[in-house]
Amino acid sequence: MSRQLIGSLLVAAIIVAVTIIAVTAQLGPTSAAELDSREERQDQRLDQQEERREDRQD
Amino acid sequence: MDLVQGNPTEVKVVLASVATALAIYQLVLAAIFYRKLRPSFLDGGPAAFTHRASGDTIAVLLIVVAIMCLSYFELEDSAFHAVTGFLLLVVLAVKVVVIRWWHSAGRFLPVLGISVFGLLVATWASTAGAFLA
Repeated sequence: MSRQLIGSLLVAAIIVAVTIIAVTAQLGPTSAAELDSREERQDQRLDQQEERREDRQD
Repeated sequence: MDLVQGNPTEVKVVLASVATALAIYQLVLAAIFYRKLRPSFLDGGPAAFTHRASGDTIAVLLIVVAIMCLSYFELEDSAFHAVTGFLLLVVLAVKVVVIRWWHSAGRFLPVLGISVFGLLVATWASTAGAFLA
């Protein structure tokens, strides 16, 4: 009886875990934090390229 | 403090999807304790206990999702979603009242349960399902 109870609760926990993993994987890296850091890295790269260009011109 | 760190839609989609997945499991558990299904590995008693525990979890998730909907989004964003979501919470509240206090209306529990499931799937499909598609 208690084994059945633990088993059925465990199945519920597995359903929760699998759903979170599947939905998160489907959503992809679209979190606002991820997009912000991506944008920041891109800005840094552009700044560095611009600095290098200016150095070459001098 | 922003608990969802600027991702209210994503968090809402995950929570609503978990509630919907658990609701499908609820149907299976209900079929077992109403003896529509008789698997050898699970009796009615444990199935009923897990159904109640899982149902409590779903209720908490739905309340959190509803608060997020009202806090972050406008009602005009999706009228169908707003109507099904509102009806879902009403039917769920009636179901909780019947389970806890109004025992004489217990014969309506299967109908209420199926209604909660149908409304939950419709509410999920109208936003989370469309967002994931």
